[in-house]
Amino acid sequence: MDALRFIAKRLLLMIPILIGISILTFAISNTIPGDPARLILGPKATPEGLEALREDMGLNDPLYVQYGRYMAGIFQGDLGESTYSQRPVADDLIRYSPATFELTIFAMVITLLIGIPFGIISASRKDKIADQFTRIFALLGVAMPAFWLGLLLLLFFYLRLGVFPGSGRLDNGMSPPDYITGMYTVDALLTGNWPVFISAVMHLVLPGITLSAVTVGMITRMTRSSMLTVLQSDYIRTAYAKGAPENRVLYGHALRNGVMPVITLLGMAFGHALGGSVLVEAVFSWPGLGQYAVNAINYLDFPAVMGVTLLIAIMFILVNLIVDTMYFFIDPRLKHN
Amino acid sequence: MLLEVNDLSLSLKRAGKYSKILDGISFQVAQGETLGIVGESGCGKSMTALSLMQLLPDKARLGGKVDLQGEQITSFSKRKLEKIRGNQMSMIFQDPLTSLNPLHTVGTQVEESLILHTKKSKQERRDRVLHLLRAVGLPRAEELIDEYPHQLSGGMRQRVMIAIAMACEPQLLICDEPTTALDVTVQAQILELMNDIKRQTKMGIIMITHDMGVVAEVCDRVIVMYAGKIVEEAPVIELFQNPKHPYTQGLLDSIPKLGERKKKLGSIPGTVPTPGNMPAGCRFADRCIHAMDICRSTLPPMINIQENHQTACWLYDEKEAKNDGSARSTELETALHN
Repeated sequence: MDALRFIAKRLLLMIPILIGISILTFAISNTIPGDPARLILGPKATPEGLEALREDMGLNDPLYVQYGRYMAGIFQGDLGESTYSQRPVADDLIRYSPATFELTIFAMVITLLIGIPFGIISASRKDKIADQFTRIFALLGVAMPAFWLGLLLLLFFYLRLGVFPGSGRLDNGMSPPDYITGMYTVDALLTGNWPVFISAVMHLVLPGITLSAVTVGMITRMTRSSMLTVLQSDYIRTAYAKGAPENRVLYGHALRNGVMPVITLLGMAFGHALGGSVLVEAVFSWPGLGQYAVNAINYLDFPAVMGVTLLIAIMFILVNLIVDTMYFFIDPRLKHN
Repeated sequence: MLLEVNDLSLSLKRAGKYSKILDGISFQVAQGETLGIVGESGCGKSMTALSLMQLLPDKARLGGKVDLQGEQITSFSKRKLEKIRGNQMSMIFQDPLTSLNPLHTVGTQVEESLILHTKKSKQERRDRVLHLLRAVGLPRAEELIDEYPHQLSGGMRQRVMIAIAMACEPQLLICDEPTTALDVTVQAQILELMNDIKRQTKMGIIMITHDMGVVAEVCDRVIVMYAGKIVEEAPVIELFQNPKHPYTQGLLDSIPKLGERKKKLGSIPGTVPTPGNMPAGCRFADRCIHAMDICRSTLPPMINIQENHQTACWLYDEKEAKNDGSARSTELETALHN
């Protein structure tokens, strides 16, 4: 009941946040110098033709009128038309976003599977060799720029060793699985298409590692510090006083308490990965939202830029809402207060 | 003897070097006996308790011997220690608010000792948990079993802690300031419960406290600690009536007594020396009004005052008392007897 009220409140709060984001992106895209009409018509355009196109696109109206028109469209499900792809932005988003979500989710799975265990090991072996190793590893992850790590991985695992593919989502000549979610791994799994599944996973490995390097580092460090605090608590001493062995204390008592701040950070990390996908997709020619956004910016394709920004913002808010809701199931203190 | 502690010492690493927290601690606890350990904050009471349980920080150095029921537990492996903790010896901590895991139900936390140390079935464990919760005076045990610590008051939480400690019927129960964090009325209830448990079981209890009222309420025998050493040991009535060590006298002097008109409560001037800066002689010498030359140069041995009553003070060493002039010691004797 309380959880439901909490979710409803948070969903309502999304509206002002999204309006704020839309104003911000709209204002920033329109301050970029350059003329979309000239980019569309090319260098040989006549002044009359340019003027007509500007009038047609509504570029001559005051900014607030343009914004009002855009927002009115959004409430009818119309995100405008991409000037670059000549298709409705909404269709483009549906076409490109599954690739990005697939990559981001894959990166988050890596983050969870590596970050949390590493953090636990680090905390329980504080100041010992395992701890030092994990801390250096985490620091490297946080400190290395994604595009540089991506290039290194490509150089080594693709060009030198040839164990992982270096670009795209599937092997050349392989056709994508039947469309269900748009995420190739999931669709291949659902349709039982094993060759495509394996190929899709192999293609995810290098960009996934690149994208998760930072978030693995973040989560490892957070898990470590949170677990260290928890391990100092009185109830941990009580558990030892009952005669519980170290592993039972660590996983039965400390982990659930220690993982709470980590969950909050996971929401942030997801947003980070979503944003970071722009660079990673460029390095690995991953046909997702990031690539789409980069093209849109190059062609001053304002509706496309706005669409991508709003979609990422909504995803980010939703993920954080899910994360916050999880507390209700983990911490009994929230249920009763 | 249930518990025999022989020349226990403890060093902790602080700021890169080891300093001695406990030194030459020896005492015994018999079956069914309650031993009080008193002293002010930082004198090593809690560290003594944690040393017995061997729940010490990683870099602690423990010396001496601890025998529980004839077994030298100071030489036990980690696994063997886990088998006796919570089973043969249990501990209750000072702060019931933080000593329970906030994410586990009361039932789970009481049950854990049973899972660790017994082969009881799930149903048997549940019955035992319910029995324990009722035994420590908690109402509506059936509902309580599924509740979380934050739904309970401080006194109830301490009762849960006691239930946890009692789960496997330990031979030795160590209580570290079990009433300090509680309201006065709740304190009295918890002490009453402790006395009930004492009567019903043959457990040996170590009651650590700075509260002389608690000592008078539950203890049979008392050890007074000062700066990591034992300075006096006596049966409880003897200690209250005939305290020998100047520190014990000061401690008892600082308690207000009902119906006694006294302008000012006694206090002991100065502060406790810190570990690493311990003086060569008696650790209390700098704060002691009776201090003699020998007190500052040589550590006093335990001196027998009478059977069961010992104190570490040069004032009661026959030779020393004579050397220092008999006038002073008779003056002292009269002062003490008044």
